[in-house]
Amino acid sequence: MAKAVIMPKAGITVESCIIGKWLKNVGDTVNVGDILFTYETDKASFECESTEAGEVLALFFNDGDEVPCFTNVCAIGNKGEDYSDLVPGGAAAAPGEEKKEEVKEEAKEEKKAEAAIEKTVSTDGELRISPRAKALAENAGVDPKYAEATGPKGRIIERDVRKLMENGMPVIEEAKAEAAPAAAPAKAAPAPEFEDVKFSGIRKVIAKSMMNSLQSMAQLTNHHSFDATSIQAFRKELKAAGGEVGGITLGDMVLYAVSRTLLNWKDLNANVIGDDTIRYFKHVNLGVAVDTPRGLMVPTIFNADEKSLLEISKEVKSLAEAARSGAISPDLLSGGSFTVSNLGATGVEMFTPVINPPQTAILGVCGITQRVREANGQLSVYPAMGLSLTYDHRVVDGSPASKFVSELCKNLEKFTLLLAK
Amino acid sequence: MPKSLYYGPNEVRAQSVIHFQDIPVNAYQKTVAEERANFKDEDLIRIYRDITILREFESMLTDIKTKSVYNGVETTYPGPAHLSVGQEAACVGQAYLMTPNDYQFGSHRSHSEILAKALSSIEKLSDEELLKIMEGFLGGSCLRAVEKMGPTSSVKELAVRFILYGTLSEIFARKTGFHMGMGGSMHAFFLPFGVYPNNAIVGGSAPIAAGAALYKKVNDKPGFVVCNIGDGSLGCGPVWEALNFAAMDQFKTLWTEDGKQGGMPILFNIFNNGYGMGGQTRGETMAYDMLARIGAGITPNQMHSERVDGFNPLAVIDAMKRKLEILKKGEGPVLMDTLTYRFCGHSVSDQNAYRERSEINDWMEVDPIITYRKNLVDAGVAADSKFEEILAETRERMTNICRHAADPEFSPYCDFKAAPQVVERLMFSNEKVPSFGTDEPRVLAKKEDCPRVQQIAGKMRKAFDENGKAYSKMKTFNYRDAIFEPLIDKFYEDSTLVAYGEDVRDWGGAFAVYRGLPDVLPHSRLFNSPISEAAIVGSAVGYAMCGGRAVVELMYADFIGRAGDEIFNQMSKWQAMSAGILKMPVILRVSVGSKYGAQHSQDWTALCAHIPGLKVCFPATPWEAKGLMQSALNGTDPVVFFESQRIYDVGEQFHEGGVPAESYEIEFGDTNVVRTGKDVTIITLGAALYRAVKAADELKAKYGMEAEIINLHSMVPLNYEKIVASVKKTGRVVLVSDACQRGSFLNDVAANITDLCFDDLDAPCVVVGARNWITPPFEFDEFFFPQPSWIIDAIHSKIVPIPGYVAETTPSEVEQMRRFKAGV
Repeated sequence: MAKAVIMPKAGITVESCIIGKWLKNVGDTVNVGDILFTYETDKASFECESTEAGEVLALFFNDGDEVPCFTNVCAIGNKGEDYSDLVPGGAAAAPGEEKKEEVKEEAKEEKKAEAAIEKTVSTDGELRISPRAKALAENAGVDPKYAEATGPKGRIIERDVRKLMENGMPVIEEAKAEAAPAAAPAKAAPAPEFEDVKFSGIRKVIAKSMMNSLQSMAQLTNHHSFDATSIQAFRKELKAAGGEVGGITLGDMVLYAVSRTLLNWKDLNANVIGDDTIRYFKHVNLGVAVDTPRGLMVPTIFNADEKSLLEISKEVKSLAEAARSGAISPDLLSGGSFTVSNLGATGVEMFTPVINPPQTAILGVCGITQRVREANGQLSVYPAMGLSLTYDHRVVDGSPASKFVSELCKNLEKFTLLLAK
Repeated sequence: MPKSLYYGPNEVRAQSVIHFQDIPVNAYQKTVAEERANFKDEDLIRIYRDITILREFESMLTDIKTKSVYNGVETTYPGPAHLSVGQEAACVGQAYLMTPNDYQFGSHRSHSEILAKALSSIEKLSDEELLKIMEGFLGGSCLRAVEKMGPTSSVKELAVRFILYGTLSEIFARKTGFHMGMGGSMHAFFLPFGVYPNNAIVGGSAPIAAGAALYKKVNDKPGFVVCNIGDGSLGCGPVWEALNFAAMDQFKTLWTEDGKQGGMPILFNIFNNGYGMGGQTRGETMAYDMLARIGAGITPNQMHSERVDGFNPLAVIDAMKRKLEILKKGEGPVLMDTLTYRFCGHSVSDQNAYRERSEINDWMEVDPIITYRKNLVDAGVAADSKFEEILAETRERMTNICRHAADPEFSPYCDFKAAPQVVERLMFSNEKVPSFGTDEPRVLAKKEDCPRVQQIAGKMRKAFDENGKAYSKMKTFNYRDAIFEPLIDKFYEDSTLVAYGEDVRDWGGAFAVYRGLPDVLPHSRLFNSPISEAAIVGSAVGYAMCGGRAVVELMYADFIGRAGDEIFNQMSKWQAMSAGILKMPVILRVSVGSKYGAQHSQDWTALCAHIPGLKVCFPATPWEAKGLMQSALNGTDPVVFFESQRIYDVGEQFHEGGVPAESYEIEFGDTNVVRTGKDVTIITLGAALYRAVKAADELKAKYGMEAEIINLHSMVPLNYEKIVASVKKTGRVVLVSDACQRGSFLNDVAANITDLCFDDLDAPCVVVGARNWITPPFEFDEFFFPQPSWIIDAIHSKIVPIPGYVAETTPSEVEQMRRFKAGV
């Protein structure tokens, strides 16, 4: 009997995942543990291993489809076995490859699907749907945003979801690609000079989060700099020592200094809940901005204030690695009380980082520039490292924010003293 | 309009004058010395004792309201206290001759009346009777409490304590009160002593008391009824309606059966303290100069009206004695203008801004508690020290009772937290009592001999034949037959059943529902009432309170306003306010009109459904009408029974097999699925059902949609089970009735469906009602009342667009907003 592979649940709060790319096709033989497809959540991407062995009989979703967790995504069994009862929503007509064939045969059908997909790219991004249609879609495991709305005021109503269930989820990208040659000779349309790529799950989240951040807070940024002589010297020493400590970077030292300074400034180590409540943290849960191929991710070092410089350094490295590979648990991508974003390596002199809601502040770490200062009538050159603190003025005023950075600068300038504490 | 009474021009147009007799004013002038021949000394002394008990009761409440302490007992009481300090002698005098079989109704200021009547009853009942009454009341719980207050010298003293404690703890809202504290100060009573409810609505007791007298008269019950109302109530229409209702000529001219001829056994006693709250009646707000005059405006015998000095208890006893003789002779109703004076304010917040202190002082100088005592001493009835003893005893008794009534341990409140359904359980009695009577029902002929019954026997009991062809209307058992059938059955089952209203007898009711009943029923069971909606409904309430069943009619729903208080405050509230002691088997038939313009075409179901305590139904088919009427007639709860003039002649179109000939009941709250379908649920109320059917036919024929139609034949109570099941199936709901849309009952149903079935809904519930206008002339009906096209339009525009359909009537949102803003 054919068996289904389901979309795994990739974290407590995750309701659905987007299929990244199918690595197996219908007809391929797979073993338990083979990677079937990649998928991503709002915050990370994963690989799905097959839980069954046999031939891939059908794929119920396509690359880029959003699939509710625990929904059947493909059927695996012996060649020619019936898998109709595995189709999500108990569909009469199994979509997947059959659908593709239909599309090939019927240009009209393809057009319909295309029309449906065009509706999908809704202008305001809001889904108008009746409670009944919504409940039906959830139960059937279909994504109602692919339904063609025929209700009053552009509302998706029950019949629209039923139609979607009947026709199956559109398999648009492949359908288009495969149907295109058939249509091409007639139209001979020129190839477009651009490429439309939909936001990935992470890009969507970043976009939403950043817009929300700037629209909902009163943000402003203070720029400071400190004499990096001390930390540079310490870095040299560590490098010379080699081994694990040899990997400790200037950025790690900034993280360490922040973790030891922040608890004196509780408004900056906080989250804003709703419009009128502030949550103070007893420990420093330090978010560290990491650049990944899919975009910015911010894993969290929990209880950084209790960790040594080396521990912090090692944890940052492993978190960043996990984030870049997409294997990081979504639960490590939230819960931060403060974030540090380090662009120092790229030569940034100063910037205005955007707060990661619901936090109240973010520290931008800039590059080192040589500056001149006067002392006792003598000019001297010293390495100045920039720090840019963006904070939510609803919660924090300019004076305490500046004082925090000043203290931080002082601690960094006498870093070994801080280590001794 | 009975044919038996000739109304000829010669007699009516002949010249003559109307004669009036003199109306006595304070005729009684005897001294105590003279009266010692007629009263035992101990009775004269007991009269004084009773006055002191009443005075102490009111003084206690004054102290508690103003100082939160009475004679060392600290307590507070937030509720009303309309006290009768000063009026006690008049109450004791009135009650002196009354027996427990004589019923008394009161006003908002009735503590003294209640206690006086109870004390009088205690005096007249034997120890055995008293113990039986106390033991039997609420399972003896009140008696058990009173026994715990310490020993008493006699059963009578125990009974005095019982009545004072039961009344006071009722006022204090305690569970140990005579009706669990649910009535309170203005709704207290004790039926075993003939103490019927007092009433917080000024004049509210007048129609109710008239109904109680009707009960006594129709059912040959011993005793008479006293309606105690104040002089302020003479400004209230329902009081005048009640005076006339109780005095109708027909009692002498048409009620010719044995024992039924003669006036109503009722005394309208007006305790005339000169003020209606602060408005001075004589001299300011009324026109009668002396209140006793009004009797001359009601009947040729002037209601035997007279003014009596209520500051002299012996003068009141003298008058009562004479009035009782008149009532016994069947010459009621009678009217007394019993002068009295209220020393205290209308309520404790009264600043007495409307009268001089000197006026109060002048009356206090002739306070019976001083003058009557002096007269007794002067006449040698007893030494003055005897009265000091009485006062001390009264105060001691009251203190003991107050201490226990105020103590929340001894006299607990109902526990709303532990028993949150305490009031809920009292709202309806929900009993089945096929007959309240024990006598053989009085009828003029056998039911089978009633021509209407014979005619109905030959009718087809459904609307269509096997081929779907409609039977001739004349040969079809219709909606009006369906109301008639259970009603005539009940007349032969329950001897207490009476039916009345405007033109119900010879005319057969304006819509011929009662046609045929006059052939088999005497006037005393079916009679034309005056055009007095308040008296019609109010008297039915009194009739039911006493233990009878009444079906009354208001002809048009638009006349509900004329009986507003009686429906909304009296009929609806007495079961719960009495903690279930009173039953209210009243069916109020009201007909929703058509073709008769703005004041005769309104569906006011929502008004009635809004009021807690009423069961409300609106059958729309003969099967529903018969089953619901039967259910209402077997029940014990007040029912407002809506009918529609659009459908009196329709036959049964929906129920399988038509309307059964045998008796059956439809449970209140059930709903009638008249057609099943899967695509949309149409919920209907009233005659709109038939337009919904047309809409459903069109939906099916033209657009392939199957509508499920559910008719709400009852509104209160309402079982949502079938509705919810239907909505879960279809996900789409449109609700239709002829009520103006704003505030329509269907909005309530729509809101509840949204609440109960939100996730099942594919669109908002849409209410299609009449426009928020006056009802225009019938020629424009289609622009005002919901039409089949409105229903389809609403489905198309708001719920599920129908391919190829073009809506014409459903307003756009902009238009809706404009109408809301304009209030139209």
